Amino acid sequence: MIDKLDFSKGNRGRLFFVIFNYALMALIIALMLIPLLKVLSDSLDNTAFYGISLIPKQPSLAAYERIISSASLYRPFMISVYVTIVGTFVAMFFTTTGAYVMSQKGLPGRGIFIWMILGAMLFQAGMIPAYMNIKRLGIMNTLWAVILPMALRNYNLILMRNFFMEIPDSVTEAAEIDGASPFQTFWRIVLPMSKPALATIGLFCIVEYWNDFFHYVIYINDSSLYNFQVKLREMVLQDDYGSSSVVVYGRSLQNATIITAMIPVLILYPFLQKYFVKGINLGAIKG
Amino acid sequence: MATELNLPLNKSNNARLINRIKKYKLFYVMFIPALLFYIAFEYMPLWGLKMAFYEWGLFGPKYFIGFKNFESLLTSKLFLTSFKNTIIISSYTLVFGMLSNIIFALLLNEIPNGLFKKFTQTVVYLPHFLSWVVVASIFAMLLSPDSGIINEIIKHYGGTPIYFMISNKWWRGLFVLINLWKGMGWGAIIYLAALAGVDPQLYEAAAIDGAGKLKQTWHITLPAIQGTVLTVLILNLAKVLNVFQPVFLMYNPQVYPVADVIDTYTYRLGFASGGDVDLATAVGLFKSVICMMLVLITNFLSKKIKGESIL
Repeated sequence: MIDKLDFSKGNRGRLFFVIFNYALMALIIALMLIPLLKVLSDSLDNTAFYGISLIPKQPSLAAYERIISSASLYRPFMISVYVTIVGTFVAMFFTTTGAYVMSQKGLPGRGIFIWMILGAMLFQAGMIPAYMNIKRLGIMNTLWAVILPMALRNYNLILMRNFFMEIPDSVTEAAEIDGASPFQTFWRIVLPMSKPALATIGLFCIVEYWNDFFHYVIYINDSSLYNFQVKLREMVLQDDYGSSSVVVYGRSLQNATIITAMIPVLILYPFLQKYFVKGINLGAIKG
Repeated sequence: MATELNLPLNKSNNARLINRIKKYKLFYVMFIPALLFYIAFEYMPLWGLKMAFYEWGLFGPKYFIGFKNFESLLTSKLFLTSFKNTIIISSYTLVFGMLSNIIFALLLNEIPNGLFKKFTQTVVYLPHFLSWVVVASIFAMLLSPDSGIINEIIKHYGGTPIYFMISNKWWRGLFVLINLWKGMGWGAIIYLAALAGVDPQLYEAAAIDGAGKLKQTWHITLPAIQGTVLTVLILNLAKVLNVFQPVFLMYNPQVYPVADVIDTYTYRLGFASGGDVDLATAVGLFKSVICMMLVLITNFLSKKIKGESIL
């Protein structure tokens, strides 16, 4: 750092760049944070006119109290929690078992499985056939319609498989020589050895299920099964853009709902940050 | 792959294969969940594509009409608008998205490791994990004409408030900016990883040879991330047309002329009242074919340029 702040003539351009670069980064940080801080501040502000202040004029938790006390808001929240927990376990089951089989180098027919996945990545039937399919499967208007279609993500499967392939063959072979079945090897040796991978994929699944809104809009008509994201859309976007505005919600409540929808992600964020850089790198190797 | 397709099948080879399959039989059992998933949720829907070629009465019989649905698409003004918008919006987000990722990664790479860099990364990566509903809601609040901060600033300086999200003039630009806000940091990670892998000795050697920072960037840094750029481009092209969520959450009838994309048009055709399910299926199929062609073409180009395919 010190040697970069050299004021000698040849370094003036460099110095200018360093200052410019720090200023630009500071600007980017501000542009990233101000929208979030503004929403947070307004959610804690009881006035109707926020102005351009980033500090609440009449600090109050009233909006959050309304979320907790209103069934129409905490019910979607609990649906989100439920689907996220159940969905993550279901997704981890599908992803780890599938990925473990795909990681077996000597498995006859592995190529067919790989092509099956590539085919699915390459060509999608589209929204309407997928809808008809969910209908035919008989899970329309149930939470399975939002849990199952996301249970196996191609990206997660490939990521998990790459993790498993890093486990030395000698480890699993030793277990097999001791008479362990593939299930036992998988459950007692492979999974405990893959904790960082499980954490990475698990966190991805949690975020995906929590943030999901698409599957609810397409596959669920029963509004008592809507999650918090759908509720947030109804409260802020449909209201603001006037497409089907039924109820006018207070601004503070709208802001508080946005913050509430972010909370699980914010809580998990330190862990996400710890794991995702590793995850994205591994994913990049094998695309 | 090669061993089990070895033809002609002589007996010993066959027996060996059967032995290997027996050895792995429990692995096939373990694959059943994944297999069922792919059949039920990825391959069974393909059957529904036949609707694109049928006239579909609500109760009456359906009859085969061949490519008639596709013909009527080509004369449908709504479809052509959505097609045009898809191309424009997708290429804007692809080009500006990748440019901002690369430039941000290059600049952040110049910041020495330390608290400031860590803080910047923490802040900039965060929006990627927020849902599109949350991001669209945040900006709906900020851009709102009656109390949004942007319009408060405009009013503060004596201007008249602008209803940004229903304006055909502003919508696309804001859509791209909001995409950048969400994705700039996350998209940069992969380049930062590639940049971290560059041997520092290269820079030292270049500096001794008298190459300035700009020259070093041009001759060392950019070639170092070239492969990554290509890989990311290919992966992005595969999903570039999938813009349903952000568009659906941010558009409204007033901006259909500039914002309606193939996905949202399909949605309205299929699910809104007065829709046309078989036409919607045809639109979806049309998009799927284009997506597949994009992937195959870029995969072919990757083979040509990089000497390896991504598939």
